[in-house]
Amino acid sequence: MREIPRSLQSLMTEKKRIPDYKVYAYKVSVDPFSKIIKGQEVCSPLDITDYCSEIGWSPVQLTFTLKDVEGGIFHPDSGMYKDYLADGCCIRLKEGDTRLPESQWVWTFTGSIKGQLGWIKTRKTRQTEAKVSVYARDNALAWKKRLMTTKEYSMGTDLGIMFGDIAFTMGLTEPEVRVPKTLGRNFYFKTNQIAQKAPWESLNTILETVMQVPFFDGEGKLACWSKNLNRESNLILPDFYQVHAVEVVSQTGDAYNKVRVVFLDANLSKVESPYQKLGQAEITTGFFTFEEKLPCYWSEDRKQRASGTTMKTIKGVNDNLIPVGTESYQENDLYHGTITVTISMWVPMLVALLLIGYVAATLVLPDKVVVGGAIISGGITIPVGRLAQAGFLAGIMIIMMCLGSAQYEIWGTPYDLVYLEKQTIAIVDGLNYWDENELKIENDFIGTHDWCDTIATTELCFQQSVSKPRRLIIDDYLGLEIGDIVQLPDGRKFFINDMKKNIKRGQTPVLDISGFKVLTY
Amino acid sequence: MSLRKIIDWQIAAADGQLFGTIASPFYQYYDIAGQWTWACDVDIGKDEVLRNVPVATSSREIIYAQEGMPVALNQMGPNKYAITGLSKKVQSTTHIIYVSFDDAFGRIVNTVTKGFIYRPVTYGELGTLLHGFGYGSLPYGARGKFDMQGNLVELLRSY
Repeated sequence: MREIPRSLQSLMTEKKRIPDYKVYAYKVSVDPFSKIIKGQEVCSPLDITDYCSEIGWSPVQLTFTLKDVEGGIFHPDSGMYKDYLADGCCIRLKEGDTRLPESQWVWTFTGSIKGQLGWIKTRKTRQTEAKVSVYARDNALAWKKRLMTTKEYSMGTDLGIMFGDIAFTMGLTEPEVRVPKTLGRNFYFKTNQIAQKAPWESLNTILETVMQVPFFDGEGKLACWSKNLNRESNLILPDFYQVHAVEVVSQTGDAYNKVRVVFLDANLSKVESPYQKLGQAEITTGFFTFEEKLPCYWSEDRKQRASGTTMKTIKGVNDNLIPVGTESYQENDLYHGTITVTISMWVPMLVALLLIGYVAATLVLPDKVVVGGAIISGGITIPVGRLAQAGFLAGIMIIMMCLGSAQYEIWGTPYDLVYLEKQTIAIVDGLNYWDENELKIENDFIGTHDWCDTIATTELCFQQSVSKPRRLIIDDYLGLEIGDIVQLPDGRKFFINDMKKNIKRGQTPVLDISGFKVLTY
Repeated sequence: MSLRKIIDWQIAAADGQLFGTIASPFYQYYDIAGQWTWACDVDIGKDEVLRNVPVATSSREIIYAQEGMPVALNQMGPNKYAITGLSKKVQSTTHIIYVSFDDAFGRIVNTVTKGFIYRPVTYGELGTLLHGFGYGSLPYGARGKFDMQGNLVELLRSY
């Protein structure tokens, strides 16, 4: 609802209004929109009211015919005032009452001219006129088509901060933004950005989280209206207010009866794979290797995470004749563990002793010779020292044979962390599957299921209301804007979706409101 | 419906990317000529599971992915999808709010939470999930698909 001075408000609701208006053209090449809206323009605007006729107004477009009675002052190439009506020039409409000073009036349209003015001089009628169409500020490629990426915002930052930053990036100044600086909703992700989206779409995305929709108001300021229909009416028409018609408009399209709102949970969640073999290892031990450590990763690229890992011994170091050591496994971190094989101290000590004995047997022990025979002298030699050597050698070889290779497998549950996609579906009760008509909303700034539930239910209620279009024709009320709820004296409520009126001098304009019946829940 | 809406639907349809979770072990999918490719079933969160979804070429890491892992699917044709990679998001819970509307008011009739959780079967469940078989019929490490109320929907086959 547009703020209007009390004096003007009382005139509109208590007395018969004597309407008046002014149309101003501004040189944007001299004064940017921000200065114009703040009333700080350097170059005085051109009052073109007297030249204007057939003024058609809607919140998004202003059209009028410019009677060029002086024969060419608005000519796009050679006219004296061509700089006021060139591409991008600002046109503003101010409406009020003749009995009030202009300072008490309100701006009901601020927009810019797109492209070249249509200008015609007719020989037959000797008339020179220009057709002018002015569009609201958001009707620009810069807002709708160009893609932008915002800076990053940390968790806990209010969404309104990002909204404001986008608006400022688009050249708006603080007085040009009517949306509150804080929206009461915070970011849930650690880092938050909008990537490669049009600025207008970005603003929509942010406001979607609080069930609002952006628009530029009549003053040229960025504002928003709410989809929440559970609110007070913005205007309750008094009994005597002139209501020309109430129309129940035919509705032929399919209404949305199912709303799906999808969001990503900000917390990463564990997704586990089945318990499985993560890796295997083979170790060869030696006499004097007291401890063998072998790191074992769950994947070749060392990025796989796993939990609950254990070691399975395929062939252990103790699987042979004599147990020679111990084998153990320890999980080091999320990505790998270590297999440790420890050879008992007695193994190298015993080997060393046996070696010493073997050498000693060679050096110290004499070989006894046993001679025997009956007919011919001769015989065999039994080298007693070699027997001792053989004993030592056998000991060494047994230990050698016991030491060797061991094989192990590491088993566990690999997992990864992923975002959970959660959703809320608000649906009209009792629908058949083939009757469903779904509206899908995806918004990653929604943080919780409760929040999502509210959006889905509000949107469904809004869409159900949209399916009951109404048309209301009343005497003009300057305070009304898109998104307002008007209440008739009998209590019926209308949501304003669009408005239009024709402005003529000396006549109270008739406001043609398109909207829908308000359903609440 | 407006032309804009129809265009939006077409754009959304052309975008053609889906996300889901692997719902079966990988198997060889044969065409009529006997040529085969790796494929699996994918749960995309709808009532019906997508069957025989082939794996895009050179996606070795997907072949080694297991049931329950999130994957991304790209559209090959009007009704055909292929698994093109692993996904960083997985479908989780859904709140369904049933709203009844009369002439002027809407009223929330019922709220239901749906969704599935893929998780290993707990030690206690190993002995109770298969009625009549007792402890020991399921191996340790078996995994199952459970609904939000904790009821077993199905046992996954890759245990």
